[in-house]
Amino acid sequence: MTPKLNTMNLPHYNYFTRNNYLDYEFYSEGPKGRVKKIVLFTKMQDNPLVYNLAFGDEDPDTGVVSDLVITDNKDTKIVLATVANTINDFCDRHGDHYIFAIGSTKARTRLYQIGISSMLNEISVDFEILGSKNGVLYAFQKNVNYDSFLVKRK
Amino acid sequence: MPVVEKETIKKGPGRAIVSYKVRSHANDPFFVKKNAEAKEALSKIDLSLLKKK
Repeated sequence: MTPKLNTMNLPHYNYFTRNNYLDYEFYSEGPKGRVKKIVLFTKMQDNPLVYNLAFGDEDPDTGVVSDLVITDNKDTKIVLATVANTINDFCDRHGDHYIFAIGSTKARTRLYQIGISSMLNEISVDFEILGSKNGVLYAFQKNVNYDSFLVKRK
Repeated sequence: MPVVEKETIKKGPGRAIVSYKVRSHANDPFFVKKNAEAKEALSKIDLSLLKKK
């Protein structure tokens, strides 16, 4: 029997963390060069315990982090798989809690949605994925526009 | 020549590499703003479904 391809088996970049396992970083590499990506997990609330996953690019000259620039490094799947791996690593250290993600703009949230959809078969092996729409949570489905996302490792 | 350097891409179970070079972004203005926006967005979602699980 062929094992299911899960998130951990997808090609991903090496990723680095501090000893708090809340800050992660990795480098996207492609036509636009080497871009440092930052992932930060921050506790949002208790009962249920929810952490926010924030994600951005660090400018190599200024060190300023932003998510308003579209990197376009032709490696979206690898970047998303790496972010999924940071979630796995975070959960190893902090437990399997809900993790919230929302784009800085509707267009950015839509990009996240397209990325999740494109890898849904693999991601859903490891994660329960929910999408919120007008304040209501639904099981994530392709071709539905959501306002934000909640994921939890199974 | 491949655009993406294959040696930087890993397959199989991964583990984060702990590095002292990774700095804390907890007080970075970008992330402070992002977290505030996320908190506001989260407050508008009915999370009762999660509590039942």
